[in-house]
Amino acid sequence: MKKRILLSFVLLSTLTVISALFGISAGSADITPDQVLRIFLGGGADDTAEMILLKIRLPRTLAALILGGALSLSGYMLQTYFHNPIAGPFVLGISSGARLTVAVTLILAAKGAIALNSAFMAFAAFVGALLAMSAVLLMSSKIHSMSLLVVCGVMIGYICTAITDIIVNFADDSDIVNLRGWSVGTFSGFRSESLVVCAVIVFAALTAVFFMSKPIGAYQLGESYAVDMGVNIKAVRIAIILLSSLLSGCVAAFAGPVSFVGIAVPFLVKMLFGTAKPMIMIPACFIGGGVFCVISDIIARTVISPSELGISTVTSVLGAPVVLMIMLRKNKDNVGS
Amino acid sequence: MLEVKHICAGYGKREIAHDISFTVNGGEILTFIGQNGSGKSTLLKTLAGQIPALSGEMLIEGKNVSEMKRNDLAKLVSALLTDRPKTDMMTCRDVVETGRYPYTGTFGLLGDKDKEAVREAMEITDTEKLAENYFREISDGQKQRVMLARAVCREPKLLLLDEPTSFLDIHYKLTFLELLDRLRRGRGIAVVMSLHETELAAKISDTVLLLKNGYCTGLGKPPELLGRSVLTEHFDISAELYSKYYG
Repeated sequence: MKKRILLSFVLLSTLTVISALFGISAGSADITPDQVLRIFLGGGADDTAEMILLKIRLPRTLAALILGGALSLSGYMLQTYFHNPIAGPFVLGISSGARLTVAVTLILAAKGAIALNSAFMAFAAFVGALLAMSAVLLMSSKIHSMSLLVVCGVMIGYICTAITDIIVNFADDSDIVNLRGWSVGTFSGFRSESLVVCAVIVFAALTAVFFMSKPIGAYQLGESYAVDMGVNIKAVRIAIILLSSLLSGCVAAFAGPVSFVGIAVPFLVKMLFGTAKPMIMIPACFIGGGVFCVISDIIARTVISPSELGISTVTSVLGAPVVLMIMLRKNKDNVGS
Repeated sequence: MLEVKHICAGYGKREIAHDISFTVNGGEILTFIGQNGSGKSTLLKTLAGQIPALSGEMLIEGKNVSEMKRNDLAKLVSALLTDRPKTDMMTCRDVVETGRYPYTGTFGLLGDKDKEAVREAMEITDTEKLAENYFREISDGQKQRVMLARAVCREPKLLLLDEPTSFLDIHYKLTFLELLDRLRRGRGIAVVMSLHETELAAKISDTVLLLKNGYCTGLGKPPELLGRSVLTEHFDISAELYSKYYG
């Protein structure tokens, strides 16, 4: 058991390093590994290559690592909260809610000629994620079927996306230059300021979640057992909602919609590690989500190079079949018991 | 050990059990006897802190439960209720280990003392052989024993059991009760439980509390309370029907 966990961590870390290196080297401009090495060691390479590497590819790869991890972790928390393996920030409409408030904020800021900083964007997304989450929670108090709840979440997502579209259509083109870019989802174009804001938010949330491993483990057993173990259920619930909203909101604000990572990765990670213990799952989901998104991003920018696919296109192709598999498995389990 | 004073239990505005009072000392077993829907489970859930008491108070070792910290209370009381934990990829050992939760630190890692308590609990409940099996893959009766190991490894002062024998065959039913008997004698644990088997309740309980429609209709020693006339009336059975099956 312990050996498997250790091996899995080694495997995931190796994958992270390899995919990150590949992510930095791959792209439409030809930069040889030799040049990459020299740039990082501070040797003299030509300026264009250095620019591309440090200003474009490195931030992009880092963004995919950090935000991919955030998405996966957010999905893991939502699955824990709802005791449902197919809950995730995208299917529950939380990502779309975050995008809506970010769109509104961007347009209002443009109208008032206010320069928005990244932290404020993240905050707007957090508020939107929380609003969508509240809508889902309200419905979950009335609906006890998990699959119906997911359908409701998808509807909330559609409503938010539709409203976003309407608002965007009525806005001046100049107001929404920043919006178009991420309405299809991408890890490109990160300014270092946004990257730092993302990193601070995500790593703070990751640390907080990790310190909640123990109560999360108790919560997973079900409410009555958590109470029996002396856990303050209300506090755990609120913490899960706030942290998962913060994480998925952050991704929605800076990378736009990235689908299915939050469901597929925690499942794959659980299968790989052969355990559901939060203390293992939390870091593993985070690393796994990063790897998944870096690889998806490499695919997105290389298959039809020099043009690019939306990141969601790739994550859907890779992730949606996994989600289907989870549902089929779950169905089989239900028949079995 | 446990003093219950005028407890009313229920959900929100719906009061199900009314004005229940009793006392259990360490090493004693008190059993709730009543029909389905008489309020046994509601009362046990209230004692276990699953639902707040509508009124009244509970004292454990002289301390008012409502003034105790959750974690401290969890060290003293453990419950084995009728719903099963959601365990996903947990082995039986993992499930038993969750019983030690109130004693573990920030990350819930078990120390040597915790591991020894888990090992001992699995030994006395005869669940050692199941330790590495996935919990969801074992039988209902085995699950019940694993859950008892979980409750026992906490080394509580008070054990609450809701129909603990319902999934067990006659062999494990009797060994289960034998185990309870040993626990209360050996460790001085107080046990409050609900049981459907009146004849077994009569053998093992020190005190019986009869519940009917949420009211306590009798509290005392089993020989008097679980006799034929009381039982037939309590469970709304005609004398003929009772005689036909119980003789």
